[in-house]
Amino acid sequence: MPEAHETRSLLERIAKGDRSALALLFDHEAGRLVAIARRIVRRQDLAEEVVQDAFVAVWQRAAQFDAARGNAMAWLITIVRHRALNLLRDGGRMDYHDGETLAALGDRSLDALNAFDALAEGDALKTCLGQLDEFKRRAILLCYVTGLSHGEVAATLDAPLGTVKAWIRRGTLSLQECLS
Amino acid sequence: MNREDKLDLAGQYVLGLLDEADAKRFETTCAQDPELAGMAAQFAGQMSRLDETAAPMGYRADLWTRIEQQLITAPRTEAAPVLPLQARRKTAPPGGWWPLAASVLVALGAGYLAGTTVTRTATPTMIAVLLNEADASPAVIIEVFADDSVRLVPLESFAAPQGQVLQVWTLPDPATGPVSLGTLPAARDIRLAGPSLPPPEAGQLYEITLEPFPGSPTGRPTGPILVKGFAKPPLN
Repeated sequence: MPEAHETRSLLERIAKGDRSALALLFDHEAGRLVAIARRIVRRQDLAEEVVQDAFVAVWQRAAQFDAARGNAMAWLITIVRHRALNLLRDGGRMDYHDGETLAALGDRSLDALNAFDALAEGDALKTCLGQLDEFKRRAILLCYVTGLSHGEVAATLDAPLGTVKAWIRRGTLSLQECLS
Repeated sequence: MNREDKLDLAGQYVLGLLDEADAKRFETTCAQDPELAGMAAQFAGQMSRLDETAAPMGYRADLWTRIEQQLITAPRTEAAPVLPLQARRKTAPPGGWWPLAASVLVALGAGYLAGTTVTRTATPTMIAVLLNEADASPAVIIEVFADDSVRLVPLESFAAPQGQVLQVWTLPDPATGPVSLGTLPAARDIRLAGPSLPPPEAGQLYEITLEPFPGSPTGRPTGPILVKGFAKPPLN
Protein backbone atom coordinates (compact mmCIF):
# COMPACT_ATOMS: atom_id res chain seq x y z
CA MET A 1 0.00 0.00 0.00
CA PRO A 2 1.53 3.33 -1.05
CA GLU A 3 1.91 6.15 1.42
CA ALA A 4 -0.97 8.58 1.79
CA HIS A 5 1.06 11.46 0.41
CA GLU A 6 1.77 9.42 -2.70
CA THR A 7 -1.94 8.90 -3.40
CA ARG A 8 -2.46 12.62 -2.83
CA SER A 9 0.27 13.66 -5.23
CA LEU A 10 -1.12 11.26 -7.85
CA LEU A 11 -4.55 12.88 -7.47
CA GLU A 12 -2.98 16.30 -7.92
CA ARG A 13 -1.33 15.15 -11.15
CA ILE A 14 -4.59 13.57 -12.34
CA ALA A 15 -6.37 16.86 -11.67
CA LYS A 16 -3.92 18.49 -14.10
CA GLY A 17 -4.78 15.92 -16.75
CA ASP A 18 -1.87 13.49 -16.33
CA ARG A 19 -3.11 10.11 -17.51
CA SER A 20 0.05 8.28 -16.49
CA ALA A 21 -0.72 9.27 -12.88
CA LEU A 22 -4.17 7.71 -13.25
CA ALA A 23 -2.54 4.53 -14.59
CA LEU A 24 -0.19 4.44 -11.58
CA LEU A 25 -3.08 4.94 -9.19
CA PHE A 26 -4.86 2.07 -10.91
CA ASP A 27 -1.81 -0.20 -10.56
CA HIS A 28 -1.49 0.65 -6.85
CA GLU A 29 -5.11 0.50 -5.81
CA ALA A 30 -7.34 -1.40 -8.27
CA GLY A 31 -6.99 -4.76 -6.48
CA ARG A 32 -7.99 -3.40 -3.11
CA LEU A 33 -10.81 -1.29 -4.57
CA VAL A 34 -12.20 -4.37 -6.34
CA ALA A 35 -12.17 -6.16 -2.97
CA ILE A 36 -13.94 -3.25 -1.26
CA ALA A 37 -16.60 -3.11 -3.99
CA ARG A 38 -17.04 -6.86 -3.86
CA ARG A 39 -17.86 -6.82 -0.16
CA ILE A 40 -20.85 -4.70 -1.19
CA VAL A 41 -21.95 -5.96 -4.63
CA ARG A 42 -20.79 -9.57 -4.04
CA ARG A 43 -20.18 -10.43 -7.71
CA GLN A 44 -16.72 -10.13 -9.25
CA ASP A 45 -18.02 -8.78 -12.59
CA LEU A 46 -20.07 -6.10 -10.85
CA ALA A 47 -17.16 -5.18 -8.57
CA GLU A 48 -14.95 -4.67 -11.62
CA GLU A 49 -17.66 -2.56 -13.25
CA VAL A 50 -17.78 -0.42 -10.10
CA VAL A 51 -14.02 0.10 -10.16
CA GLN A 52 -14.08 0.91 -13.87
CA ASP A 53 -16.72 3.60 -13.33
CA ALA A 54 -14.88 4.85 -10.26
CA PHE A 55 -11.62 5.45 -12.15
CA VAL A 56 -13.45 7.33 -14.89
CA ALA A 57 -15.06 9.42 -12.13
CA VAL A 58 -11.65 10.03 -10.53
CA TRP A 59 -10.36 11.27 -13.89
CA GLN A 60 -13.35 13.56 -14.23
CA ARG A 61 -13.46 14.85 -10.69
CA ALA A 62 -9.88 14.81 -9.38
CA ALA A 63 -9.93 18.61 -9.47
CA GLN A 64 -12.65 18.54 -6.81
CA PHE A 65 -10.48 16.64 -4.35
CA ASP A 66 -9.61 19.04 -1.59
CA ALA A 67 -6.41 17.91 0.09
CA ALA A 68 -7.07 20.27 2.99
CA ARG A 69 -10.35 18.57 3.84
CA GLY A 70 -9.86 14.88 3.51
CA ASN A 71 -7.33 12.18 2.87
CA ALA A 72 -6.85 10.97 -0.68
CA MET A 73 -7.41 7.27 -0.03
CA ALA A 74 -10.66 7.97 1.83
CA TRP A 75 -11.81 10.09 -1.11
CA LEU A 76 -11.06 7.28 -3.53
CA ILE A 77 -12.82 4.74 -1.30
CA THR A 78 -15.84 7.03 -1.00
CA ILE A 79 -16.21 7.13 -4.77
CA VAL A 80 -16.01 3.34 -5.02
CA ARG A 81 -18.46 2.86 -2.15
CA HIS A 82 -21.00 5.24 -3.69
CA ARG A 83 -20.85 3.49 -7.04
CA ALA A 84 -21.21 0.10 -5.37
CA LEU A 85 -24.11 1.23 -3.20
CA ASN A 86 -25.91 2.80 -6.16
CA LEU A 87 -25.54 -0.41 -8.12
CA LEU A 88 -26.91 -2.32 -5.15
CA ARG A 89 -29.84 0.06 -4.65
CA ASP A 90 -30.69 -0.06 -8.37
CA GLY A 91 -31.52 -3.60 -7.45
CA GLY A 92 -32.43 -5.38 -10.64
CA ARG A 93 -29.22 -7.28 -11.09
CA MET A 94 -28.72 -8.22 -7.47
CA ASP A 95 -31.47 -10.84 -7.16
CA TYR A 96 -30.59 -13.90 -5.17
CA HIS A 97 -32.46 -17.12 -5.50
CA ASP A 98 -34.33 -17.89 -2.30
CA GLY A 99 -32.01 -20.72 -1.39
CA GLU A 100 -29.00 -18.44 -1.65
CA THR A 101 -30.36 -15.60 0.42
CA LEU A 102 -29.54 -16.87 3.88
CA ALA A 103 -26.12 -18.12 2.92
CA ALA A 104 -25.40 -14.80 1.22
CA LEU A 105 -26.44 -12.87 4.30
CA GLY A 106 -24.28 -15.19 6.41
CA ASP A 107 -21.24 -14.42 4.21
CA ARG A 108 -21.87 -10.76 4.67
CA SER A 109 -21.99 -11.07 8.41
CA LEU A 110 -18.62 -12.78 8.28
CA ASP A 111 -17.10 -10.11 6.00
CA ALA A 112 -18.31 -7.39 8.34
CA LEU A 113 -16.87 -9.06 11.45
CA ASN A 114 -13.59 -9.88 9.72
CA ALA A 115 -13.13 -6.24 8.76
CA PHE A 116 -13.58 -5.25 12.40
CA ASP A 117 -11.18 -7.96 13.63
CA ALA A 118 -8.59 -6.89 11.05
CA LEU A 119 -8.41 -3.33 12.41
CA ALA A 120 -5.15 -2.74 14.22
CA GLU A 121 -5.25 -2.93 18.00
CA GLY A 122 -4.98 0.61 19.26
CA ASP A 123 -6.78 2.01 16.20
CA ALA A 124 -9.26 4.55 17.58
CA LEU A 125 -11.97 3.11 15.35
CA LYS A 126 -11.46 -0.35 16.82
CA THR A 127 -11.53 1.03 20.36
CA CYS A 128 -14.67 3.07 19.76
CA LEU A 129 -16.51 0.29 17.92
CA GLY A 130 -15.46 -2.05 20.69
CA GLN A 131 -17.17 0.16 23.26
CA LEU A 132 -20.57 -0.25 21.56
CA ASP A 133 -23.06 -3.00 22.48
CA GLU A 134 -22.52 -6.00 20.30
CA PHE A 135 -25.76 -5.55 18.35
CA LYS A 136 -25.13 -1.90 17.63
CA ARG A 137 -21.61 -2.70 16.49
CA ARG A 138 -22.73 -5.54 14.23
CA ALA A 139 -25.53 -3.44 12.75
CA ILE A 140 -23.15 -0.61 11.92
CA LEU A 141 -20.55 -2.95 10.44
CA LEU A 142 -23.17 -4.67 8.28
CA CYS A 143 -24.31 -1.32 6.89
CA TYR A 144 -20.88 0.10 6.29
CA VAL A 145 -18.77 -2.86 5.24
CA THR A 146 -21.32 -4.82 3.23
CA GLY A 147 -23.82 -2.13 2.28
CA LEU A 148 -26.88 -3.73 3.86
CA SER A 149 -30.05 -1.65 4.22
CA HIS A 150 -31.93 -1.25 7.51
CA GLY A 151 -34.29 -4.05 6.47
CA GLU A 152 -31.50 -6.44 5.53
CA VAL A 153 -29.71 -5.78 8.82
CA ALA A 154 -32.97 -6.51 10.65
CA ALA A 155 -33.29 -9.81 8.77
CA THR A 156 -29.65 -10.72 9.41
CA LEU A 157 -29.80 -9.94 13.14
CA ASP A 158 -33.34 -11.29 13.43
CA ALA A 159 -34.52 -8.13 15.18
CA PRO A 160 -37.47 -5.76 14.57
CA LEU A 161 -36.85 -3.03 12.02
CA GLY A 162 -37.60 -0.19 14.44
CA THR A 163 -35.16 -1.58 16.98
CA VAL A 164 -32.44 -1.93 14.35
CA LYS A 165 -32.96 1.65 13.17
CA ALA A 166 -32.61 2.87 16.75
CA TRP A 167 -29.45 0.76 17.30
CA ILE A 168 -27.85 2.19 14.21
CA ARG A 169 -28.81 5.77 15.01
CA ARG A 170 -27.69 5.67 18.66
CA GLY A 171 -24.64 3.57 17.85
CA THR A 172 -23.47 5.86 15.07
CA LEU A 173 -23.85 8.98 17.23
CA SER A 174 -21.87 7.34 20.07
CA LEU A 175 -19.22 6.27 17.60
CA GLN A 176 -18.87 9.78 16.13
CA GLU A 177 -18.64 11.32 19.60
CA CYS A 178 -16.04 8.75 20.65
CA LEU A 179 -13.96 9.38 17.52
CA SER A 180 -14.06 13.17 17.66
CA MET B 1 -30.63 21.37 12.12
CA ASN B 2 -28.93 21.12 15.48
CA ARG B 3 -25.57 19.45 15.93
CA GLU B 4 -27.02 16.02 16.75
CA ASP B 5 -29.29 16.10 13.70
CA LYS B 6 -26.29 16.90 11.57
CA LEU B 7 -24.18 14.13 13.08
CA ASP B 8 -27.06 11.72 12.54
CA LEU B 9 -27.49 12.71 8.91
CA ALA B 10 -23.73 12.63 8.22
CA GLY B 11 -23.60 9.20 9.89
CA GLN B 12 -26.39 7.81 7.72
CA TYR B 13 -24.74 9.22 4.63
CA VAL B 14 -21.39 7.63 5.42
CA LEU B 15 -22.96 4.28 6.31
CA GLY B 16 -24.71 4.30 2.94
CA LEU B 17 -28.22 4.35 4.41
CA LEU B 18 -29.55 7.29 2.39
CA ASP B 19 -31.19 6.45 -0.91
CA GLU B 20 -29.79 8.05 -4.05
CA ALA B 21 -32.07 11.10 -3.98
CA ASP B 22 -31.43 11.79 -0.29
CA ALA B 23 -27.68 11.28 -0.76
CA LYS B 24 -27.71 13.86 -3.59
CA ARG B 25 -29.66 16.26 -1.41
CA PHE B 26 -27.17 15.72 1.38
CA GLU B 27 -24.27 16.56 -0.94
CA THR B 28 -26.02 19.72 -2.09
CA THR B 29 -26.59 20.77 1.52
CA CYS B 30 -22.92 20.09 2.30
CA ALA B 31 -21.88 22.58 -0.36
CA GLN B 32 -23.50 25.30 1.75
CA ASP B 33 -22.83 23.87 5.19
CA PRO B 34 -19.13 23.42 5.95
CA GLU B 35 -19.87 22.00 9.41
CA LEU B 36 -22.00 19.21 7.94
CA ALA B 37 -19.46 18.58 5.17
CA GLY B 38 -16.70 18.42 7.78
CA MET B 39 -18.61 15.89 9.89
CA ALA B 40 -19.17 13.63 6.90
CA ALA B 41 -15.57 13.91 5.67
CA GLN B 42 -14.19 13.20 9.12
CA PHE B 43 -16.44 10.20 9.76
CA ALA B 44 -15.87 8.82 6.24
CA GLY B 45 -12.12 9.13 6.74
CA GLN B 46 -12.30 7.24 10.03
CA MET B 47 -14.61 4.51 8.74
CA SER B 48 -12.45 3.96 5.65
CA ARG B 49 -9.99 2.14 7.93
CA LEU B 50 -12.45 -0.75 7.66
CA ASP B 51 -12.18 -0.70 3.87
CA GLU B 52 -8.43 -0.67 4.06
CA THR B 53 -8.56 -4.08 5.75
CA ALA B 54 -9.80 -5.65 2.47
CA ALA B 55 -7.14 -7.88 0.92
CA PRO B 56 -6.51 -6.96 -2.74
CA MET B 57 -8.24 -9.20 -5.28
CA GLY B 58 -7.47 -10.01 -8.88
CA TYR B 59 -9.38 -8.51 -11.79
CA ARG B 60 -9.77 -9.01 -15.51
CA ALA B 61 -6.67 -8.24 -17.53
CA ASP B 62 -8.34 -5.64 -19.75
CA LEU B 63 -9.88 -3.57 -16.97
CA TRP B 64 -7.42 -0.70 -17.46
CA THR B 65 -7.91 -0.74 -21.24
CA ARG B 66 -11.65 -0.41 -20.74
CA ILE B 67 -11.13 2.57 -18.45
CA GLU B 68 -8.76 4.22 -20.92
CA GLN B 69 -11.31 3.89 -23.72
CA GLN B 70 -13.90 5.65 -21.62
CA LEU B 71 -11.52 8.52 -20.83
CA ILE B 72 -11.40 9.68 -24.44
CA THR B 73 -14.89 11.10 -24.24
CA ALA B 74 -15.30 11.62 -20.50
CA PRO B 75 -15.91 15.30 -19.70
CA ARG B 76 -13.85 16.63 -16.83
CA THR B 77 -14.64 19.06 -14.05
CA GLU B 78 -11.84 21.58 -14.06
CA ALA B 79 -10.00 23.14 -11.18
CA ALA B 80 -11.29 26.67 -10.89
CA PRO B 81 -8.08 28.65 -11.57
CA VAL B 82 -7.24 27.10 -14.95
CA LEU B 83 -9.19 29.41 -17.19
CA PRO B 84 -11.56 32.34 -16.98
CA LEU B 85 -14.00 30.18 -18.95
CA GLN B 86 -14.83 27.93 -16.00
CA ALA B 87 -16.38 29.89 -13.21
CA ARG B 88 -17.67 32.88 -15.04
CA ARG B 89 -21.28 31.82 -15.39
CA LYS B 90 -21.65 30.81 -11.79
CA THR B 91 -21.27 34.25 -10.25
CA ALA B 92 -22.01 37.50 -12.00
CA PRO B 93 -18.87 39.65 -12.22
CA PRO B 94 -18.98 43.14 -10.70
CA GLY B 95 -20.83 45.29 -13.20
CA GLY B 96 -23.11 42.42 -14.22
CA TRP B 97 -23.01 40.68 -17.55
CA TRP B 98 -22.00 43.63 -19.64
CA PRO B 99 -18.27 42.82 -19.96
CA LEU B 100 -19.08 39.27 -21.04
CA ALA B 101 -21.71 40.44 -23.50
CA ALA B 102 -19.20 42.88 -24.93
CA SER B 103 -16.55 40.21 -25.38
CA VAL B 104 -19.03 37.92 -27.13
CA LEU B 105 -20.00 40.74 -29.49
CA VAL B 106 -16.37 41.43 -30.26
CA ALA B 107 -15.75 37.76 -30.94
CA LEU B 108 -18.79 37.53 -33.20
CA GLY B 109 -17.83 40.70 -35.01
CA ALA B 110 -14.30 39.49 -35.65
CA GLY B 111 -15.66 36.17 -36.84
CA TYR B 112 -18.04 37.82 -39.22
CA LEU B 113 -15.35 40.00 -40.80
CA ALA B 114 -12.85 37.19 -41.10
CA GLY B 115 -15.55 34.95 -42.47
CA THR B 116 -16.31 37.24 -45.38
CA THR B 117 -12.73 37.05 -46.56
CA VAL B 118 -11.84 33.49 -45.63
CA THR B 119 -14.82 31.33 -46.32
CA ARG B 120 -16.68 32.86 -49.21
CA THR B 121 -15.38 30.27 -51.61
CA ALA B 122 -16.52 27.22 -49.65
CA THR B 123 -19.47 26.01 -47.66
CA PRO B 124 -18.74 23.77 -44.70
CA THR B 125 -19.64 20.11 -45.03
CA MET B 126 -20.11 19.79 -41.29
CA ILE B 127 -20.70 22.15 -38.40
CA ALA B 128 -20.11 21.40 -34.74
CA VAL B 129 -21.14 23.63 -31.86
CA LEU B 130 -18.72 22.99 -29.02
CA LEU B 131 -20.16 23.44 -25.56
CA ASN B 132 -18.27 24.74 -22.57
CA GLU B 133 -17.73 21.76 -20.26
CA ALA B 134 -18.27 23.95 -17.21
CA ASP B 135 -21.85 24.98 -17.91
CA ALA B 136 -22.79 23.49 -21.30
CA SER B 137 -23.13 26.90 -22.95
CA PRO B 138 -22.09 27.21 -26.62
CA ALA B 139 -18.47 28.39 -26.71
CA VAL B 140 -17.02 27.66 -30.17
CA ILE B 141 -18.43 26.85 -33.60
CA ILE B 142 -16.32 24.59 -35.81
CA GLU B 143 -16.93 24.50 -39.54
CA VAL B 144 -15.38 21.58 -41.40
CA PHE B 145 -14.56 21.92 -45.09
CA ALA B 146 -14.11 19.35 -47.81
CA ASP B 147 -10.38 20.20 -48.09
CA ASP B 148 -9.77 18.94 -44.49
CA SER B 149 -9.48 22.46 -43.11
CA VAL B 150 -11.57 23.59 -40.18
CA ARG B 151 -12.60 27.08 -39.16
CA LEU B 152 -13.01 28.00 -35.52
CA VAL B 153 -15.49 30.71 -34.56
CA PRO B 154 -15.29 31.41 -30.84
CA LEU B 155 -18.44 32.59 -29.07
CA GLU B 156 -16.63 33.15 -25.80
CA SER B 157 -13.13 34.44 -25.31
CA PHE B 158 -10.76 32.09 -23.52
CA ALA B 159 -7.04 31.54 -23.57
CA ALA B 160 -4.47 29.01 -22.41
CA PRO B 161 -2.42 30.00 -19.37
CA GLN B 162 1.31 30.66 -19.76
CA GLY B 163 3.21 27.59 -20.96
CA GLN B 164 0.12 25.85 -22.33
CA VAL B 165 -1.83 25.78 -25.57
CA LEU B 166 -5.35 25.04 -26.72
CA GLN B 167 -5.37 21.95 -28.91
CA VAL B 168 -8.20 21.10 -31.29
CA TRP B 169 -9.08 17.42 -31.78
CA THR B 170 -11.48 15.25 -33.65
CA LEU B 171 -12.30 11.58 -33.29
CA PRO B 172 -12.81 10.17 -36.82
CA ASP B 173 -13.32 6.71 -35.36
CA PRO B 174 -12.60 5.14 -31.98
CA ALA B 175 -10.10 2.68 -33.48
CA THR B 176 -7.84 5.48 -34.78
CA GLY B 177 -8.34 7.55 -31.65
CA PRO B 178 -8.34 11.34 -31.44
CA VAL B 179 -6.48 13.26 -34.16
CA SER B 180 -5.03 16.72 -33.60
CA LEU B 181 -6.24 19.45 -35.95
CA GLY B 182 -3.90 22.11 -34.60
CA THR B 183 -2.97 24.27 -31.63
CA LEU B 184 -3.45 27.91 -30.73
CA PRO B 185 -2.77 30.10 -27.69
CA ALA B 186 -6.24 31.60 -27.44
CA ALA B 187 -9.65 31.02 -28.98
CA ARG B 188 -9.99 33.22 -32.05
CA ASP B 189 -11.48 33.09 -35.49
CA ILE B 190 -8.97 31.01 -37.37
CA ARG B 191 -8.73 28.46 -40.14
CA LEU B 192 -6.62 25.38 -39.40
CA ALA B 193 -5.31 23.30 -42.30
CA GLY B 194 -5.83 19.95 -40.51
CA PRO B 195 -4.36 16.59 -41.51
CA SER B 196 -5.81 14.55 -44.35
CA LEU B 197 -8.78 12.67 -42.93
CA PRO B 198 -11.79 10.80 -44.26
CA PRO B 199 -14.80 13.08 -44.71
CA PRO B 200 -16.30 13.72 -41.26
CA GLU B 201 -19.47 11.91 -40.37
CA ALA B 202 -22.52 13.24 -38.59
CA GLY B 203 -22.00 12.84 -34.87
CA GLN B 204 -18.19 12.99 -35.10
CA LEU B 205 -16.62 14.38 -31.95
CA TYR B 206 -14.71 17.68 -31.91
CA GLU B 207 -13.09 19.02 -28.78
CA ILE B 208 -10.51 21.48 -27.50
CA THR B 209 -8.22 20.46 -24.65
CA LEU B 210 -5.62 22.32 -22.65
CA GLU B 211 -2.14 20.92 -23.34
CA PRO B 212 1.43 21.77 -22.39
CA PHE B 213 3.23 23.99 -24.93
CA PRO B 214 3.84 23.30 -27.83
CA GLY B 215 1.15 20.59 -27.91
CA SER B 216 0.22 17.24 -26.37
CA PRO B 217 3.45 15.27 -25.69
CA THR B 218 1.74 11.97 -26.52
CA GLY B 219 -0.17 12.98 -29.65
CA ARG B 220 -3.38 12.23 -27.76
CA PRO B 221 -5.38 14.56 -25.52
CA THR B 222 -3.77 14.58 -22.10
CA GLY B 223 -5.26 17.72 -20.57
CA PRO B 224 -8.72 18.72 -19.48
CA ILE B 225 -11.44 19.08 -22.11
CA LEU B 226 -12.57 22.70 -22.29
CA VAL B 227 -15.22 22.54 -24.99
CA LYS B 228 -16.73 19.62 -26.85
CA GLY B 229 -19.41 18.99 -29.46
CA PHE B 230 -20.59 16.72 -32.24
CA ALA B 231 -20.71 17.44 -35.96
CA LYS B 232 -23.90 17.86 -37.94
CA PRO B 233 -24.27 18.57 -41.65
CA PRO B 234 -25.82 21.96 -42.49
CA LEU B 235 -29.12 21.89 -44.40
CA ASN B 236 -28.69 22.98 -47.98
